[in-house]
Amino acid sequence: MLVIENCRLTWPDFAADYSLSVKAGSLCAVIGPSGGGKTTLLHMIAGFETPEDGTLAFNGQDLMPLEPAKRPMAIVFQDHNLFPHLSVAQNVGLGLRPSLRLTADEKHLIAEMLDSVGLHGFASRKPGEMSGGQRQRVALARALVSGRPLILLDEPFSSLDPGLRRDMILLADKLRRKRSVTMLMTIHTPEDVADVADQMVFVADGKVVASGPPAAVLNSSLAPRIAAAVSDS
Amino acid sequence: MLRRLLLTLLSLGIATGFAQAQTKPVLTVYTYSSFAGKYGPGKPVKERFEATCGCELNWVTAEDAGSLLGRLRLEGDNTKADAVVGLDMNLAAEARALNLFAPHGADVKDLSLPIEWKDDTFIPFDWGYYAFVYDANKLPNPPKSLKELVDSPNGPKIVLQDPRTSAPGLGLLLWMQKVYGDEAGEAWTKLKPRIVTFTKGWSEAYGLFMKGEADMVMSYTTSPAYHIVAEKKDNYKAAAFTEGHYLHVELAGMTRTTKQPDLAKKFMAFILSEPFQSAIPETNWMYPAKNPPSGTPAALKGMIQPSQALLFTPEEVQQKRRAFTDAWLNATAR
Amino acid sequence: MTIRLPHPGSLVAFAILGLVAGGFIALATFDGGTPPLLSIGPYLGRVLAFSVIQAALSTVLSLVLGIGLALALARRRFPGRDIVLATLGTTMVMPTIVAVFAVFAVYGRSGWLAEALAFLGWEEGFSIFGYPGILIAHVFLNAPFVARITLDGLNQVPAEHWRLAATFGFTPVQVFRHLDWPVLRAELPGIAGLIYLMCFKSFAIVLALGGGPSRSTLEVAIYEALKIDLDFGRVAWLALIQLAICLSMTGLLHWAFTRPPVGHTIRALVRRPDAKARSLKIADALMLAIGVLFIGPLALSVLTGLRNMVDVLGADLLEAFATSLAIATLAASVACLLAVALASAARRRRIAMRSPRVAALYDFLPDTLLAVPPFALTAGLFLMIQRFADPSAAGLILLPLINGLAAVPFAYRYVAPRLLTVEERYGRVAASLGITGWAKLTIMDWPALKRPLAAGFALAMALSFGDFGIIALFGGTELTTLPYLLYERLGAYRLDEASAIGLFIVLVAFVLAHLSGRMSHAGD
Repeated sequence: MLVIENCRLTWPDFAADYSLSVKAGSLCAVIGPSGGGKTTLLHMIAGFETPEDGTLAFNGQDLMPLEPAKRPMAIVFQDHNLFPHLSVAQNVGLGLRPSLRLTADEKHLIAEMLDSVGLHGFASRKPGEMSGGQRQRVALARALVSGRPLILLDEPFSSLDPGLRRDMILLADKLRRKRSVTMLMTIHTPEDVADVADQMVFVADGKVVASGPPAAVLNSSLAPRIAAAVSDS
Repeated sequence: MLRRLLLTLLSLGIATGFAQAQTKPVLTVYTYSSFAGKYGPGKPVKERFEATCGCELNWVTAEDAGSLLGRLRLEGDNTKADAVVGLDMNLAAEARALNLFAPHGADVKDLSLPIEWKDDTFIPFDWGYYAFVYDANKLPNPPKSLKELVDSPNGPKIVLQDPRTSAPGLGLLLWMQKVYGDEAGEAWTKLKPRIVTFTKGWSEAYGLFMKGEADMVMSYTTSPAYHIVAEKKDNYKAAAFTEGHYLHVELAGMTRTTKQPDLAKKFMAFILSEPFQSAIPETNWMYPAKNPPSGTPAALKGMIQPSQALLFTPEEVQQKRRAFTDAWLNATAR
Repeated sequence: MTIRLPHPGSLVAFAILGLVAGGFIALATFDGGTPPLLSIGPYLGRVLAFSVIQAALSTVLSLVLGIGLALALARRRFPGRDIVLATLGTTMVMPTIVAVFAVFAVYGRSGWLAEALAFLGWEEGFSIFGYPGILIAHVFLNAPFVARITLDGLNQVPAEHWRLAATFGFTPVQVFRHLDWPVLRAELPGIAGLIYLMCFKSFAIVLALGGGPSRSTLEVAIYEALKIDLDFGRVAWLALIQLAICLSMTGLLHWAFTRPPVGHTIRALVRRPDAKARSLKIADALMLAIGVLFIGPLALSVLTGLRNMVDVLGADLLEAFATSLAIATLAASVACLLAVALASAARRRRIAMRSPRVAALYDFLPDTLLAVPPFALTAGLFLMIQRFADPSAAGLILLPLINGLAAVPFAYRYVAPRLLTVEERYGRVAASLGITGWAKLTIMDWPALKRPLAAGFALAMALSFGDFGIIALFGGTELTTLPYLLYERLGAYRLDEASAIGLFIVLVAFVLAHLSGRMSHAGD
């Protein structure tokens, strides 16, 4: 269980105050208008932003005092997930060992992971030689290979075309179930996740406005605001 | 805003057009930059000549005498120069070889130069001697001769100019050659340990000296006059050398291609007249080519008087400069 | 069938090659016929060897200090950092004579260091002439520039990479290996090439600080041939030798360091995780201290010109300032236009036409411009121009043109990488929408390009502001620039006024560098 209670962050031009809980092993989709604080929420969980007060815990462990590297999470960004001078295998390897001194077992694990995201035979490619979708698969593989139980995905597939985006969401969901990890995913096309997500959260003006099963949120009185947020982005 | 700018530009254009329509003939004179600069003789000379000639005098400048010559050669017959002020004796042969200069037609008798002047292509407008300048507060006993300077292993440190890029640099090369003849190479070798460096031009060397990097600098006998008159300091002196000093004569000439030969001739004559000559001492810090009846100008009276003027003819310089430079390189470039 | 016009960049490339080649030919054939082959005597051989070595040493030292400073500055935030960055951008555009006097003011026989040592009771004199002086001056001029341009590169690392580094828990060594090093490797050949060329050609500095004609450069021989021997054929040959050496050196650099792929971003900066490491805190403090101790006194010594600032403020200074400003603006426009044209041609070759070798040639061309001796190029172009234009107008054409050409490699460094990034990111979208040519430039490139272009423009202006090379031949009462005024005052014994003008130039350069920095820096 991921628990966020009254986590406040303040900037000169923006303030946020988050409260949210997400069940362990579930897929939680975060939607809302751009600039409303979706990404900030993920950055706070990851440790890139530090709340002034409140509670932030995962499976009973207080995350607040932990450095990003010590938190039980991995993250996938919309872009720039891979280091262009490293091969695909090395990029995935970073999730296991930043020193890249990998054991044979670990190398085996990486190959297996690449297979499971559909990148068999791509191990020695450089990111520059791959398509956007393939690159996001690598990032997903790296997030999973680390074995960390919480995975944050920040608009992971937004720059892909619609068909591919849906495929990638299904792939991510399949791997989540298989490895029973918790996933938090920001997205600006709620219809892509409505049938697979366990929970949907609407974030606006730095606050969690609604949270519940996707159908409930999408059909609530918030529907016009959601529609506006989607068409806005 | 844009319209206002355009209007301004337009009115400017009209103004200059108007100015040009009613202008007097323009005499274009090439010179080196400090001559036409704020402290140079360019401004008074322009005013005084324009007062009598019914024309406009337009200075066009290049960095130094060498640049002037280079530019003239590049321009060739297309040059806009009606006259040139600022060549020197050591460039005279090359300048003559350009076949760009016409006889000046001026009267060059009764000049106050230490040598007799017979050239009908170039006229001297000022002159001076090369000399080592020192600060008497720091160097109470300067060498009395070039030989003493060369022969004292613990003598003063000196800063010089590269003879390949600078007129005073070439001046010292020729001076050494006059005093030492074929043994100039050995003399350079002896002197070398005390040479701080050879700079690109006079300005760098003089600057280094003023900043205290050397005890003496290659300059002119008249340099102290600047410090006395402009700065009221009398501690800077030129060292008198018993062998005599190398002579530096600055030259002017008119071009063969000028469209206004009469005006150019008039300017040539003007150069040796009192209004031009009296502007020289306290602006260019050199001796005028023609003294006023009262004799040496006051500002330059206290300067050292060399016993002998040393000089190669321009033709000798042209022929031997390469060999002299190579000997100098051999001796100093180790 | 339609005839396709060549890409504007190809036209520019041919125009530049044509100008340079035309200049050479005009010089070489000035006396009619082909000039006799030039024999390189033992002296010229020694000069060449010396130039190669001093330029290499100057480059290595400038890179070491500059990169060290850039890394330290990238990790640290402190009050006054902006001022430090602008100062870094200033030194390179100083007129050389200002730099020479600065070196003497600090390290000379009666300089601050000698005085300080004497105060401490150490009276042994020391001499900076020879390698020490030359290297000090070159490192002083160039290391800050290296730091500045490297820092710009380091700031381009995507924010996501820094966040990933934080989640992976990268050690400082891993941060360097995966984030800093790829950037450095990409920037290194270009910067090293620029610095090498500038040090190889350095002329007044080498003569003033070298201590003797054995410490000379090829440019002295060119100067002598042009201004004293009036032997233009020799000028052309010497210029060709210089071009050949400089180009093989930069070619070697480009070949040895092929440009690795680098992820660029145009996002806001992120706090670096390695800023917290204690070992790096000590190392950075040390590095910054070294930088301050080395660059600080030299830069401060220029401020002594302040004493005479009032004396030089006058109509002629304002006029010279206006002239310099006009020439610098024109030169910077020339530089930026050419750089954009060349960079977009290089980009088209590299991405759309998949011929990186041809693209590399385009990358190489700006360096060629820097390798051409300016005196020779000026003289050659003058000979070309005067067939069509009035010689008195030649200065007006040549000054901005040659200053602009000399600034192309610097503007190119700002423009080319950004254009490449834009293409990688939006190229396919643009192609699918059929956006090409002018529309592509205005819609796709311009938003990303305007800031680096403004930065390059400001730098090109600053460079032109400090330049004295060309004006020496073609200055005049009607074309008095600030450096020209400076030399004119020096020639009239007014050393103090010259240093005040020097300071004025440096201040203008400082303002321009500050603008340039803010442009290249501000997150778009």
